[in-house]
Amino acid sequence: MKASNDRSTEDRSGPDLDLDHFLIEPDTPRPVMISPDQVEPADIEVMASLGVYVTGEDRAGTYILRDFHPLCLVAQSDDIELLPIAEALAKYDWLRERYYWRAVPADLDRYTAQCASVPEPQGYFLRVKKGAKVPFPVQACLYIARDDIAQAVHNVVILEEGAELHLITGCATGHGVRSAAHLGVSECYVGRNARLTSTMVHSWGPEVEVRPRSGTIVEAGGTFVSNYCSLRPARSIQTEPRAWLNGKGASAKYTTVILGSDGSTIDTGGEVYLNAENTSAELAHRAVCTGGHIYQRGLLIGNAPCRAHVDCAGMVLDAGDDGFIHSVPGLRALHADARMSHEASIGKIAPEQVAYLQSRGMEEREAISMIIRGFLGEEIVGLSPELDARIAEIAELAGHGGK
Amino acid sequence: MTNILEVKDLCVEVDGQELLHGIDLTIPEGEVHALLGPNGSGKTTLMMTIIGYPEYKVTRGQILFNGEEITGLGITERARLGIGISQQRPPTISGVKLRQILDYVVVNAPQRSQEIDDLAKAFHMDPFLERDINADLSGGEIKRSELFQLLVTHPRFAMMDEPDSGVDLEALSLVGNMVNALLSEEPARPAKRKAGLIITHTGHILDYVHADKAHIMLDGRIGCSGNPLILLDKVRECGGYEECIQCILRRREG
Ligand SMILES: Nc1ncnc2c1ncn2[C@@H]1O[C@H](COP(=O)(O)OP(=O)(O)OP(=O)(O)O)[C@@H](O)[C@H]1O
Ligand SMILES: [Mg+2]
Repeated sequence: MKASNDRSTEDRSGPDLDLDHFLIEPDTPRPVMISPDQVEPADIEVMASLGVYVTGEDRAGTYILRDFHPLCLVAQSDDIELLPIAEALAKYDWLRERYYWRAVPADLDRYTAQCASVPEPQGYFLRVKKGAKVPFPVQACLYIARDDIAQAVHNVVILEEGAELHLITGCATGHGVRSAAHLGVSECYVGRNARLTSTMVHSWGPEVEVRPRSGTIVEAGGTFVSNYCSLRPARSIQTEPRAWLNGKGASAKYTTVILGSDGSTIDTGGEVYLNAENTSAELAHRAVCTGGHIYQRGLLIGNAPCRAHVDCAGMVLDAGDDGFIHSVPGLRALHADARMSHEASIGKIAPEQVAYLQSRGMEEREAISMIIRGFLGEEIVGLSPELDARIAEIAELAGHGGK
Repeated sequence: MTNILEVKDLCVEVDGQELLHGIDLTIPEGEVHALLGPNGSGKTTLMMTIIGYPEYKVTRGQILFNGEEITGLGITERARLGIGISQQRPPTISGVKLRQILDYVVVNAPQRSQEIDDLAKAFHMDPFLERDINADLSGGEIKRSELFQLLVTHPRFAMMDEPDSGVDLEALSLVGNMVNALLSEEPARPAKRKAGLIITHTGHILDYVHADKAHIMLDGRIGCSGNPLILLDKVRECGGYEECIQCILRRREG
């Protein structure tokens, strides 16, 4: 069955994908899941570069999706329940009634419709039990190992009241994979006084098309922190995360770190609805453009007394004739006590900063790398060693690119 | 004795405008010189040219460091030869901490990381280590941050641009201690020093740091050179550099 719903994505950049070009339905039966030590070494290496460690050390749980099928799943903590989403739907009626397609509508656009129409939903279900503060992150890897398939993933994450979790998601194509599509729906429910930190790292082949859609609902006192980092740009990425802060004092913070290069179009969004008293939201976009097109968008909608800030910053390095960054921070205040602000700045790397660091003995390349690292990392350095390593890598790549 | 720095007949242009018109300046190994002069006379321009900032274009003349021509080298190479600077108005770099720069400086000598902490304590720099470089610092704090980087770097030859401007009296003695510490070769032999060039408009720093010789820069030229105390006394006596300018004009005519 093909998805037919077609909400216009004209206001976003990146082509409307013709999903006919991709293999959409599994052409092999679902294999038996394997244990992590049976994962192929080449795959292990790619996953480690995303912060997903197959050995599971210092991780509370691991889920790996390879192409259309779950490859392995390990839960090492009684505080969490981790299942392939298909199994969870069979197990819990309430999942479909209260959560599945409740934070992202199935008919949002052709990509969500596609995710809704696959015969067996791909993706995972993760629940963190009431009051549990999971000491180690749960990791998920959504992995494409072959050319020309369209992965259509649907994940549901539920944090019950007072629960805390760091979720690390790595999405990538394997070595040598050039062309594929990744469609993803992620629905997150952050309960009262719960705290979810989601760190997502993308690393794609050069002709991959990426269309994740996510929705997060945060209840009173809950906190949602999202860090998104795109390391190796695909042909096009279009993200559209939305959050609804529905309870008093709920907060959300999105940080997006993008390295764009020639031939890629990356359009990162972010919409937060501040619906209750004392809610707060912050969107921070950081992009380095060494070519290609980068769009940074963000819209904060203040429906209640709240505080909100959106900040887009871009750095253009040797981006050729065609490369650009386009920033559109947006605010919509619907309440007299909504305190909202935005800022945006785009510029070249400042030569006096490079020269300054050189005068301390650094090579030009090292200086550029340190500056970019500071620029990208200001908001997120130190959140996780994995992300730090990715940021250092982006900075390193940019340092080499900057003439 | 070898000369650490020899500047010969140096002409420098910025944006097509000549700012230095034939500078000659020699600093022997172990000597500390002061460079005096009114605002806009070209002191900073000379320092930035010696360290190799690319916008300062040498159109004539040479710069020798330790006997070797460095006029065509990049900033990094000059810094690695052992030239260090503390700037009058250094840039801020958001997200880059003072400590990161210091860590870079000692990266090949891990045993020196401890030294950073010890020096930071001794010179009251600990609060600034984890802050973005030069961001939200007062004028005096910026000077100390710059000098602190030189202290950790141990350059063979340090150039300091106005380490005393905007520094109150109490902080001035701290700044003076920092300059003396970074110039000292061996604490046990205070008379033995590294070579340096201290740029100062007011000369306040010279109450704390002895200079072997002073030069007065006027309108892109070295107007005269001599004993720092005598030159500074003259400048102070005359209430500024106006008299120097008159003196030079008289000499030129005569
Ligand atoms: N980038 C530039 N473009 C044009 N003119 C410049 C530039 N940099 C400096 N100048 C000019 O060159 C002259 C010398 O400047 P410089 O900064 O070297 O003076 P200075 O002696 O250090 O002064 P101060 O005591 O105020 O620090 C000044 O007239 C200044 O305006
Ligand atoms: Mg100056």
